[in-house]
Amino acid sequence: MEESARPIYTEAEKQEIFDKEFLPHIHAMYNFGYRLTLERDDAKDLVQDTYFKAFRFIESFQKGTNAKAWLFRILKNSFINDYRKKAKEPGKVDYQEVESYYNSDDVHRQITPDLRVEALKDMIGDEISNALNSLDVDFRTVIILCDLEGFKYEEMAKILDIPIGTVRSRLHRARHLLKEKLSEYARSMGYKTA
Amino acid sequence: MSDSTNPFTSPSGKRATCMEMLQLYLDGEVTQEQRAYFLHHMDMCMPCFKGYQVDMAIKELLKTRCCGEGAPGDLVQQIKAQIAQQNS
Repeated sequence: MEESARPIYTEAEKQEIFDKEFLPHIHAMYNFGYRLTLERDDAKDLVQDTYFKAFRFIESFQKGTNAKAWLFRILKNSFINDYRKKAKEPGKVDYQEVESYYNSDDVHRQITPDLRVEALKDMIGDEISNALNSLDVDFRTVIILCDLEGFKYEEMAKILDIPIGTVRSRLHRARHLLKEKLSEYARSMGYKTA
Repeated sequence: MSDSTNPFTSPSGKRATCMEMLQLYLDGEVTQEQRAYFLHHMDMCMPCFKGYQVDMAIKELLKTRCCGEGAPGDLVQQIKAQIAQQNS
């Protein structure tokens, strides 16, 4: 039999891959869509569109590989190419600038927000969710992929099309910003910070 | 401990900061050697120990409180219907 780079699936195989490998990630995909757009209707459209594309391009999916990472990558690209273009997003941050700042020596002198575990334990409402949502989308994305979904750095690099070093530094910066936000909440809850 | 024994030091000789080591450890992105080094280091480094407690608590908080947006019940049906329509 001739070997081909791309698998050719029968209609039944396509359906099986779709039902057994793609659809089980529907809730994680929706949560990702929601955390990116912060709108439930938009999240729904984005997920629907992603699954539609996944089915159309199912031949480029290698059976047995990480379906979740593949789907997340499609969703992320749909978000950037379709959704973000349509949405009016004023004041976009230049990440090159942010990351070169991060990589400079100054960052090591930045003060880590003082935050106590006790304060975090009292955050039983929407504090953490609001803090996450308040981050700029590229910072939010790395936290979602790493902390919510448990992707490894290498998988994140593939999903986001960025080098692993950038995954690390962006994640580091994102966590710092998240802690600043949580420190604000802690202060407003009456916890003293240094 | 000298940097030459620090398994986090990059091939170019760049030393990893405490926060950088902590993050790699927290995310399970360390080798066995790095893991042992960091655990030993954390015993003696108060900022790392405190930082780890806080970072771990945040990671858990994120996981338990930010994954609750379940997809609407009719979404799977809608997706399947859309695909069936295109295929017909």
